[in-house]
Amino acid sequence: MTTVQSPTPTPTPERPARPAARSGPRVVVRGSGAHRAAQAVVLVLLAAVVIWGGSLDPFGQGQLTRAAIFALAIMGLNFTTGYVGLLSVGHSAFLGLGAYTTGILVVNYNQTAISTIPWAMLVCFLVGLLVGIPALRIRGLYLAMVTLALGVAFPEVVARLDGLTGGAEGMTIRRTLLRPPDWSGFTLGEKDAWLYWLTIVLLVVTFVVVRNVISSRYGLAMHAVRQDEVAASASGINVAAIKLVSFGVSGAITGLAGSLFAMYIGSLFAEGSFTVLAGITLLIGLVLGGERTLAGPIIGGLAVVLIPYYTSGIGQGQASAVLFAVVLIAVIFLAPEGVAGGVARLARRWVVVVDKRPESIGRGR
Amino acid sequence: MSALLEARGLSAGYGQAHVLHGVDLTIEPGQVVVVLGANGAGKTTLMRSLAGLLPYDGELRVDGETVGAVRPDQMVARGVSLVPQGRGTLTALSVTDNLRTGAVGRRDASGVQEDIDRWFTTFPRLAERRHQVAGTLSGGEQQMLAIARALMSRPRLLLCDEISLGLAPVIVQGLFETIRGINEEMGTALLLVEQNAALAMGIASYVYLLEVGRVVQSGAAESFAQSDSIRRVYLGY
Amino acid sequence: MDIFLTRLISGMTAGSVYAMIALALVVVFRSSATINFAQGEFALFTTYVSWWLTQHGWNIWLTLVPALGLGFVMCAVAERFLIRPVRKRDETAVLIVALALFTGLNGLAGWIWGSDDKVYPRLVPIGDDSFLALGGARLYYDSIFVVLSLVLVVGALSLVLNKTGLGLQMRAVATNPESASLCGIKVGRIFMISWGLAGVIGSLAAAILVPVLPPGQLGLPGMFHMLIFGTVAALLGGLDSVKGAVVGGLSLGVGLAMINGYGSFFGGSISLTVALVVIVVVLGLKPNGLFGSRRLERV
Repeated sequence: MTTVQSPTPTPTPERPARPAARSGPRVVVRGSGAHRAAQAVVLVLLAAVVIWGGSLDPFGQGQLTRAAIFALAIMGLNFTTGYVGLLSVGHSAFLGLGAYTTGILVVNYNQTAISTIPWAMLVCFLVGLLVGIPALRIRGLYLAMVTLALGVAFPEVVARLDGLTGGAEGMTIRRTLLRPPDWSGFTLGEKDAWLYWLTIVLLVVTFVVVRNVISSRYGLAMHAVRQDEVAASASGINVAAIKLVSFGVSGAITGLAGSLFAMYIGSLFAEGSFTVLAGITLLIGLVLGGERTLAGPIIGGLAVVLIPYYTSGIGQGQASAVLFAVVLIAVIFLAPEGVAGGVARLARRWVVVVDKRPESIGRGR
Repeated sequence: MSALLEARGLSAGYGQAHVLHGVDLTIEPGQVVVVLGANGAGKTTLMRSLAGLLPYDGELRVDGETVGAVRPDQMVARGVSLVPQGRGTLTALSVTDNLRTGAVGRRDASGVQEDIDRWFTTFPRLAERRHQVAGTLSGGEQQMLAIARALMSRPRLLLCDEISLGLAPVIVQGLFETIRGINEEMGTALLLVEQNAALAMGIASYVYLLEVGRVVQSGAAESFAQSDSIRRVYLGY
Repeated sequence: MDIFLTRLISGMTAGSVYAMIALALVVVFRSSATINFAQGEFALFTTYVSWWLTQHGWNIWLTLVPALGLGFVMCAVAERFLIRPVRKRDETAVLIVALALFTGLNGLAGWIWGSDDKVYPRLVPIGDDSFLALGGARLYYDSIFVVLSLVLVVGALSLVLNKTGLGLQMRAVATNPESASLCGIKVGRIFMISWGLAGVIGSLAAAILVPVLPPGQLGLPGMFHMLIFGTVAALLGGLDSVKGAVVGGLSLGVGLAMINGYGSFFGGSISLTVALVVIVVVLGLKPNGLFGSRRLERV
């Protein structure tokens, strides 16, 4: 068992994690000049990638937008499945719920696309709370089954409510309804670029919010609930509230992704985009990128969008499924903390970041 | 002539928590050995390691042959059988099926049936309940079943982890008489871990004293019983 | 009345198939206390193999031999080399490996044989008049065949479990793997065999169901809903109970046929939503299912 204090548990069978015995790793103190400089370099690099993405041709940019949307959705999944350990296979339902909330408000109620985002998040938050209720009593595979059923039932429910959702026919949001708002300075013709930047901004904002929540007392409580509910509740943590709220927040984040997805794709087919297979895809992205890591969902989002695209010519279009399976099994066996965690572990051979005060509760990674 | 079971520098634990630190222990064929120790001394950990349930460092030899894989079925095949703490009967199976399961490693069907009859004679209360599901038995009956089941593999060494736990004194007395009889008639060696030290010392010939995962004292049972400190702490008189 | 009978018959037919898949899941759960979410895709793969052999002139019945054999080997190997090494870590890891197998096997089948639907031959050929008139309803021979197959599978499985040494060991492991190992049982071997048996049952179920249940053809997405219904059936009956799988499967099949038949005010099929409700209700009220003794959750 790892202790509650360590947000990134590194399973080391023999010796404690800090590889002081080896001559290798350079020790960098958090907040020191060197650390700041390294952070700055990473930020500049990321900014460069984002700006490069903004200058891409429409198709490439669209792929990046899609990847960012999936990264957001996986970030939502990470919030509950990663940090609190409540396994969800059916997060596709939140993606769909967010998308349909936006779609219905735009098409049937004449709202502007961007104004529907808070509503999509609110609806998904409330449904998330609702789904979180079973999680109060059950976990593990049982919970996976409830969420599986949710993911499976969602397209069917959408098909039934055809007055609102267009049913099995699907729902089309006319392009003119997705006009960027006037204050943005983007014209209707630049709708795709607008969506790209909107998605990137929301991804960054969500990233920062999640990062701060995870390193807060609330985040510590989430870790505690994941590792030992009894011990957590004995330490005065309201386990029920943590589970419910984190399921709600998780749903809201994935719902945000869904809302953006509706704007991106323009036509909604529950049987196409929001089946439980999409939920499984999100889970694959999360595990592959790295549960309980901040970078994991972004890596996962890129993987689940780009791998199928680049392999679509191989194996009658089925190569990505096989590749995902192989990579997933490799990840589980070789790097259980995912690509992000695996890279971080490798990096620790060379550089170790430590807190200034050794006795402080670990917030680092 | 090698010992029936020999442990050298046995260390074991659960993840980061190391419980046993280099225990040496020898059991000769037919010998009755008792391990004494306070709660948390590592007695159950020792028994579980010897039975192949827990991975360990150090060396474990049966008949002078080093045991490779840590697997309970291999220990059973080598003639070492554990009656685990908390009974460990197969609660969803009938009494008879429990006994038959105890003999899965054996090929002699008629011998198995003989042994089942034999333990039904030894434990008549089990015979009365032979078709009952084990989970419905009383604590004492479950303990009898656990012992009989462990004996079904015809072990040469029976490891008994706290068989008196939670049972009425009269039942405990009966169980100890039974296992002593088994030792005498069949020559089955016994390794007992017991809270009820007085009872265990009564049938043991050799004693190990375990404290925080180490053997701190060992010797013949008689000399042990005469030691004042031992008497005070473990025997209570 | 004849409409009721017709629905009852179609419910029993579908229910028998759900029950068979539930049986496969139960056999796995009894040994390793997990749900094999890839069970349906293993079956899908072996059914493709069976179809491929019929394309090469094999008799459909004869193809079952290698198909079921492959089902055994694939599941047993998956247990030994993919599932068992991560079992000790946590159930998420097991689930992820199962999901990987799920996607991987589906993709592999598509890679090898293409994603277009295949016409899979019926094991029991039926014509326009191959039915028994039953109070105005038509009881087609293939429905009888499906139900009989279930009876056969349940009979064989009960026989193995209750009358053989292997069955005794399987029951012991189902009760408590650690105690079973102390009896000298090679628990790992029992895990493998259980998974293999589940693979055989699943493959058989798939070969039977493909021509009988909609869409009537062999396609890549075909097994997923079957797995859902099988899971619901197993959960309803109790995940470690053979009897439960049968009762759960048949009641689910008949229940869905009635709801979808009479509940036309819902506007079409709502099977999956009903499945959702059943899962939530069972988990809320009776987590052991109707006949089960062991919960899915391990404390």
